[in-house]
Order: sequence, then C-alpha cells, then structure tokens
Amino acid sequence: MKVLLPFVLLASLAACQKDRIEVREEPKEDAPAAALAPASRPSGVKWTAPAGWTEAPGNGMRVATLTPPPAAGKAEVTVIALPGDVGGELANVNRWRGQLALPPVGEADLPAARSELRSKLGALNLYDFTGTGTNKTRLVAGMLSVSGTTWFFKLMGDEKAVAAARPAFLKLLEGLHAS
Amino acid sequence: MRPNDVPLRRVTDFLSSMKLTLACLGLLMILVLACTLLQVPLGTHIAVERTIRSFLVWYTPDWSPVRLPVFPGGGLVGGVLLLNLLFAQFLKLERSRRKAGLWLAHLGLALLFIGEFSTALFQVESQMPVEVGQTKNYSEDTRQMELAVVDVTDPGKDTVTSIPESFLRPGAVIETPSLPFKLAVKRWYDNSDLGMRKPTDPPSEATAGVGPNLSISEAPIVTSDDAQNAAAALIEPVSGRDGLGTYWVSNALGAPQGFVREGRTWRLVLRPRRYYLPFSVTLKEFKHDIYPGTDIPKNFSSLVRLNDPSAGEDRDALIYMNHPLRYGGKTFYQASFGQNDQLSVFQVVRNPGWLIPYLSCILVALGLLLHFGTKLAVSLRKAA
Repeated sequence: MKVLLPFVLLASLAACQKDRIEVREEPKEDAPAAALAPASRPSGVKWTAPAGWTEAPGNGMRVATLTPPPAAGKAEVTVIALPGDVGGELANVNRWRGQLALPPVGEADLPAARSELRSKLGALNLYDFTGTGTNKTRLVAGMLSVSGTTWFFKLMGDEKAVAAARPAFLKLLEGLHAS
Repeated sequence: MRPNDVPLRRVTDFLSSMKLTLACLGLLMILVLACTLLQVPLGTHIAVERTIRSFLVWYTPDWSPVRLPVFPGGGLVGGVLLLNLLFAQFLKLERSRRKAGLWLAHLGLALLFIGEFSTALFQVESQMPVEVGQTKNYSEDTRQMELAVVDVTDPGKDTVTSIPESFLRPGAVIETPSLPFKLAVKRWYDNSDLGMRKPTDPPSEATAGVGPNLSISEAPIVTSDDAQNAAAALIEPVSGRDGLGTYWVSNALGAPQGFVREGRTWRLVLRPRRYYLPFSVTLKEFKHDIYPGTDIPKNFSSLVRLNDPSAGEDRDALIYMNHPLRYGGKTFYQASFGQNDQLSVFQVVRNPGWLIPYLSCILVALGLLLHFGTKLAVSLRKAA
C-alpha cells in the first residue's frame, strides 16, 4: 500500500484546491488599468474629436459618446465595439433602418446602401439613411472590423443637425488610427 | 507459496512487468503524437487538457449524444507507469550497495512522475499585462471568468466579492455573507455571440443595465490560443422577494453595470479571473531589440521594479526570454508585448512543485553515474 501513498497525498491536497468565493478590498480602478483588459475594454482604435465637439466616456457596451456643437436640432455620435461580426452587415443595416422606422432591405440592396471610406486602419463601410415624416431623423454609420472586433461609429439625430455635423464626422472616420 | 496467494502474485507480477512498461511507453508516444496533432484544431491548452492531463480521452461521435472513452489519458498511463516502476523497484530490484545507483535513478524517475501529477493538479497559469510606468498587483486568467460583485460606495476602495465561474451554472442561487442579496443565475454561456437587438428580435430576458438593448446567443467555444471566448451570464440579484433587475454580464461588454440597494452602490462585472499578489510589479522599461537592418526580433526584455513592503523587498529585476523572475512562489516569464512596445505581458506561473523535475534529473544523473561508475571500477579491477 505504500506505493499508493503519493496518489492519496496528491488527491487529498487537490481536494483543498476547490474554487471558493472570495471577498477582498481592491483599490479603485483607474482608467489605464481598465484599458488593459483586452476583452472587457476594447482597444485598437483611436480617433480625434473634431474641434468644438465634446467627448464623454461610454458606459456599458458604448465606448464613447461625442456631441457636435449645438446646431439646428440634436445629434450625437456613439462609438460601440463588440466582438465578432455582430450578426453581419445585413443584420446591422436593417437594425439601423429599424431605428428610423424604414423597411428592411435585402442582401442585393446592400451595395447601393453602402459607400466606402478610407481610414488609416483600412476601408470602412459607410451608410446614410434618413427616416420619413415631418421631423426626419437621419443616421450616418461607419462600420470597421479591427482584430476580430467590429467598431460602430454612428452619427444620429435630427436631419439638419446630422447634415451639419456630417463633414466633421467623416473627417473623424478618415482619421481613425491604431491605438 | 500458498494457493490463495496466486491471484495476488499474478497482479504483482503484471504490475512489475517490463511488458507493462513498454506498453505504457508506447501509449505515451501515441498520446504525445495525438496531442501534437490536436493542437492545430484545439489549441495547446485544450489539447493538453484532453489528452495528457486527463485519465481518459473522450470523443463524441456525430451520431452519438454520449461521449465515449476512446483511449487512456496521460493521467492514467502515467499513474500505471509510476505503479509499475515502484512495484518493479520494490519487488525485483536487488537491495544491495551494488544496485544503489539503480535505486537512485528509479527514485528520480518516480519523482518525475509525481512532479507531473503535482503540476497538473496545482499549477496555476495567468497573465499580467503591464504598461510602461504602470504598477500591478494581480494577474488574470483569461480562460476562466469570475463574477465580481463590487461595492463601490466607499470613495477610497472597492469591496469585491469574487465568484468563480464554476458557481455560475443555470439554476444556481448564490448566497454569501458578504452580499445583502442572493444572486440567481438564469443562464451561462461559455462563449456567446453579442449583437445589438433588432426591433424584430424577441423581448430581451434582461430588464436592467445594457442587456435590454442586446441580443445574446450561445456560441461554440473558441479554442485557438490567440482567441478569447465572450462568456455571458444572465444574473438576477434578489433581496427577499424583490428582484433587483436581471442583467446580462459578459467579459466582452464595457463598463460595469449595477444598482443601488439600501444606500450602497453595487456593480456587476464578468471579467477574467484575478489572482492578487502580496507584492506589486512596476514596468519601468520594455526593450524590443531587432537585428540591424531587419525586422527580425533579437531580444525582448522588461525592466521591472519589485515592491514587497511586508518582506522589505524593493529592487529592480530584468525579465527576458529564458530568464524569468521568481518571487513569492510565482514565476514571471516574458510572454508577449504590444501597444507599440509600451505594453509588456508576463506569463505568471504558480507551481509549488517546480523544483521536483530538477531534483528528479539530479537523482537520475547521480544514480546512473554511480551505477556505471561502480561497473567501470569493477571492470578496471578485473582487468588489472
């Protein structure tokens, strides 16, 4: 039986290794430390906010919120990063169209809905949709895939405010670079 | 010999036989080959876990809902080999000074097996990414998650209740004295597809946080070494009969979500499991040298400051390839880098049995030297 002793000893020690709930005190998380967790804080893309725009850190799945200077109506840019292809191009285009109460389009309609923009991180797909009705809502969205993460930059708001902010928004997209 | 000893004798003969040794060595060779080939589709970690660090190799055919054992795993073969070695040593090897070298060499081999069992059971691997100038006192295991329930009310510090992912099984209700509420686990996905919820999608199961805007579905786990699963859990904190909302948490989501309960603010975060250290490491400098005129890497090195006030330790250490820092039972290896050479990633390994293989090699070498030295001396004496 002596030969079994190492096994018994190892098995008993292994039993002490069981997972358990721990309670501990941690210092408040600072921003640089948070930026290091690769999946929890998406990194890889940086941008420069246009002059006069304000930028606020995001929450939840939103990475940041940018607000153009006050114009005729409201508009804001949201930056969202999610792993994978997030359902693919068609699903996202129809999600945006759904937000404007527009009917969904099919795969064959995508080339017409899409235009391309060059950024320092490569080609970026751009979409521009305007809703219907008296107070029209407009949405300009850029979609970019970087290292397995899909980045969405969406300018959305009142049609006139979006039209005023669009040139600066496109400059922001063209200036996207690696972090 | 008494007749009732015969079956026992057969067993001991079998356990100490050379045939068993050869069979086990053959099986180990097949396992090593299979593990090497499986690393392509499964990645190193899973291939090793399924072949070398398991007692049986399991396979689920397409036509079967049940997984079937198809081959003995490294744990079983190694265990039998260790028994074989010990039985052969104690039953067959002559107890004499003449054979002292062989005794020592066999003891060394047995230690090698025990060392591998110890590594399989107790080794913990994690990663520590540190930016230049940053100080860290924890490492993370990206293959395992933890649900951190954080009381952020105190402006100076956070109180974290860390719940390992093994507790997050659907239907589980987690109750712990540090939390004034229970946590009901509604769903758990090892990997998931996250997307924005479309108007046509069914209503979200989440009622609070970012979950109501998301569509989350289970996805096959990713296995390659450079990919990470997006784990997701649907959690409902419950106080008495009151539900405090149902939240989707995922390591792929950004900032934490939470709620206020009786004047205290709580955050729910699913994140890679953390291992806190009783000391801190500050990255002072990272060097990425290349051969002149090429992009071929020559050397990666990280200059760190090790600070352990409880042990009065405050010194610099240089970590580079094949030159890890060993401190406090942990070994820090230079593993990776990034962010234009502003980020260094260390592999942090805790292995209480790390010395065993070295000891084993010394014993085997000494044993063989002694054995062949004795033989040589006898031959020389005879020749003289």
